[in-house]
Amino acid sequence: MLQARGLTKRYGGLLALDRVSFDLHPGEIVGYLGPNGSGKSTTVNLVVGLLEPTAGDLSLLGLRAADDPIGYKRQIGYVPEEPSLYAHLTAGEYLMLVGRLRRLPARTLQTRVPELLRLLQLQDSRYKSMTAFSKGMRQRVLVAAALLHNPRLLVLDEPFSGLDVNAGALLRTLLQMLAGEGRMILFSTHRFDMVEKLCSRVIVLSSGRIALERQVADFEQAGPDSLEETFFRATHQPDFAPLAREILDTISGQ
Amino acid sequence: MTMRDRPEVVLTRHFFTSLFDFGILSDEGAESLKRVLLGALALAIAGGLLLARVFMAKYGLLAGAPPEAYLREVVADHAFLMALPMWIVAGAMSLVGHSLFPDETDFRILMAEPLSRSMVFASKLAALLLFGGLFVVGTHLGLLPLAALTLIGAAKTGSVVLAGVAFAASSLAASLFAALGIVAIHGLLVLLASRSRLLAFSGAVRSVVTGGLLLALPLVTRLPATAGAFETHAWWLAWAPPAWFVGLERWLLGDATRGMLAAQAVTATIGAAAIALFAYVRLYRRFDRVTFQSAGPVRSPRREAPLTPWSRGASVRGAVVRFVSLTIQRSVLHQGVVVGLLAGAGGLVLNSLLSADWRFAGPADDALVWTLLWVPMTVVFLSVPAIRLALSVPMDLRANWIFRMAEDVDGRAEVADASVRAVLALAVALPIALIAPLQWWVMGDGCLAVLLVEAAIGWLLVEFLMADWNRVPFTCSYIPGKGFVPQMCVKAFASYVVFTFATGLMLRASLRHQAVALVLASIFGVTAAAMRLRRARHARQTSLMFEDHVPSDVTPLRLNAD
Repeated sequence: MLQARGLTKRYGGLLALDRVSFDLHPGEIVGYLGPNGSGKSTTVNLVVGLLEPTAGDLSLLGLRAADDPIGYKRQIGYVPEEPSLYAHLTAGEYLMLVGRLRRLPARTLQTRVPELLRLLQLQDSRYKSMTAFSKGMRQRVLVAAALLHNPRLLVLDEPFSGLDVNAGALLRTLLQMLAGEGRMILFSTHRFDMVEKLCSRVIVLSSGRIALERQVADFEQAGPDSLEETFFRATHQPDFAPLAREILDTISGQ
Repeated sequence: MTMRDRPEVVLTRHFFTSLFDFGILSDEGAESLKRVLLGALALAIAGGLLLARVFMAKYGLLAGAPPEAYLREVVADHAFLMALPMWIVAGAMSLVGHSLFPDETDFRILMAEPLSRSMVFASKLAALLLFGGLFVVGTHLGLLPLAALTLIGAAKTGSVVLAGVAFAASSLAASLFAALGIVAIHGLLVLLASRSRLLAFSGAVRSVVTGGLLLALPLVTRLPATAGAFETHAWWLAWAPPAWFVGLERWLLGDATRGMLAAQAVTATIGAAAIALFAYVRLYRRFDRVTFQSAGPVRSPRREAPLTPWSRGASVRGAVVRFVSLTIQRSVLHQGVVVGLLAGAGGLVLNSLLSADWRFAGPADDALVWTLLWVPMTVVFLSVPAIRLALSVPMDLRANWIFRMAEDVDGRAEVADASVRAVLALAVALPIALIAPLQWWVMGDGCLAVLLVEAAIGWLLVEFLMADWNRVPFTCSYIPGKGFVPQMCVKAFASYVVFTFATGLMLRASLRHQAVALVLASIFGVTAAAMRLRRARHARQTSLMFEDHVPSDVTPLRLNAD
């Protein structure tokens, strides 16, 4: 189980995250929602160990991140929001780099990497450097890199961004199967439809605090648009019609 | 709309400032680079003044000499005074070679705006003219006192004003040729290379031009000593561009014997201008064909790259070694840095090799042997920090998260080991291997003992300079010039003198007595091995660094601490 307790992060005088606590159980896919600047990316960076919390505690399968950050990070697979990878490498080379950094046996990688490239439909481009890759292709490489070491916790930040319909459907099915096998999946996104299709629970963040935590099934019973409406209410979003009117007035010079 | 806000002015300003942006430094790094450049400028001005002082003595003596003696010397000195700005201008234009023409980013972004193609091209050209002009004017202003000094004696042979005009026109033409030459080379490249090979060719040309320029620097500094060659109309003058423009200057002042050199200068300048213009016009018509990318230029692998090399050696060390190797092979920027820095060291060596008397009497020829013992140690001394610097230049900072997530204790030591291996291969093994045949030719079998000691010294130097290395190559932000630049220069120069002199003596002793070689190699080898162990221990205890920072200016004394 992933346990986050009182996670707080300050950047100088700015309080980005304020005492956020949640659990993530094996087999669960949790949707992590929030408007821009709500602290979503900060939480993700804290959970994957790229940032250290100002206060609070994280533990995964009983291993405290503060005690053993290396052992903690070893259990995690991460797909970042931006497809940031070393594009001068080919997809195969990048996966070999990731695999070797994660100390997977060379023999395992020699079979696993080509197989993953084939399954994610990247085999035709395996000898090209990733500079020529589309955003969706890079996203698929990052998904493969995150799965390469068979992690216990998957943290995905907008993983469907840039993926075409087929690749999106494949990833959705894959995530459901991974959860079925007992993996924990934290899924940060702006897309309500994906949360409704994929997640069992949703956490909504607003101004660095948890504004809402609920089972997705509760929204399904309440009818369509319920999650979206609840999100706007929980995050205190303004009425958008006057804002849109103001933008129109600004560009038309009134 | 004010002049400042006009689209063509905004666009020109944008292109001009982007010529100074290499896209690899953080804001803090860019600020630091500015400080380093200002420091370098101050050093250049000081060097220029020193040069003027040196030439002052020479022209003081020439003041009392007959006009023929003045004419004999001034020709060679003017070749030097023209070559220096040519070198600087060509170097600056070469560094921004990737931005000489509107590129794919410009095409995608600017063509979506209501801007005409002619405005984009004209603005790019204007920015280039400003950039080139800045260096042309700057270098000529810097050398003005020296030029004035050399022209005073012209009163003996004719009008000082005419001589000044002829010199200025020829020197400006020479710098113009240097700038246009670089633009023409890149223009031809964009027109002739296929889309798939364009980036590879572009990177290779930039590396070759930068390397060639650095190798040529010692030749530039030797120009003041070529008065004899000008007097005898030596054959090689026809192959030396600065000589063409000195020929032009003399021809303008009425010396018909320099007509051929003058014709070469004019032809070369017009030719370079024509090619550059042709490339611009052609690209203007086929803008959509341009595929230069401004950000992160890399080469695609030339052939199917097998995954087997990733499996060699310890897991993390093997991965980092392969990562370093592929980055240097494919990243145009990093290849340019490595080639450029190594060529700088090579240039220094070339200078000393050219100065050596190659008519040696045999293996015992002392001067030549001394030169060949000094050469590899000089290259190693310059290459080790140079390659260390090249490994510090970041590749794509946003992508370094994978190294941060996969960091482990043993991995830290393996990362340091991989970095040391890269420096050893490029800065020690490669130069020693390149110079070894020459040493064997001159010293015979005795050079084996010398090679052994050279390798041990190289290893020790690498261990010394990499002792606190705790970053994955190309993954940490970089702030240049963190120290006090003048102090660093003095320290570096003093270290260079002590190192090359001391190692030269040791290598000479090793050449004479093999037992000495064995003792020295053992001492250095054991010390390096001990430092290696210490480095590995230190690396395990220190987290990898991904963000460079300026050291604090204030070191607290903590006098009241318990």
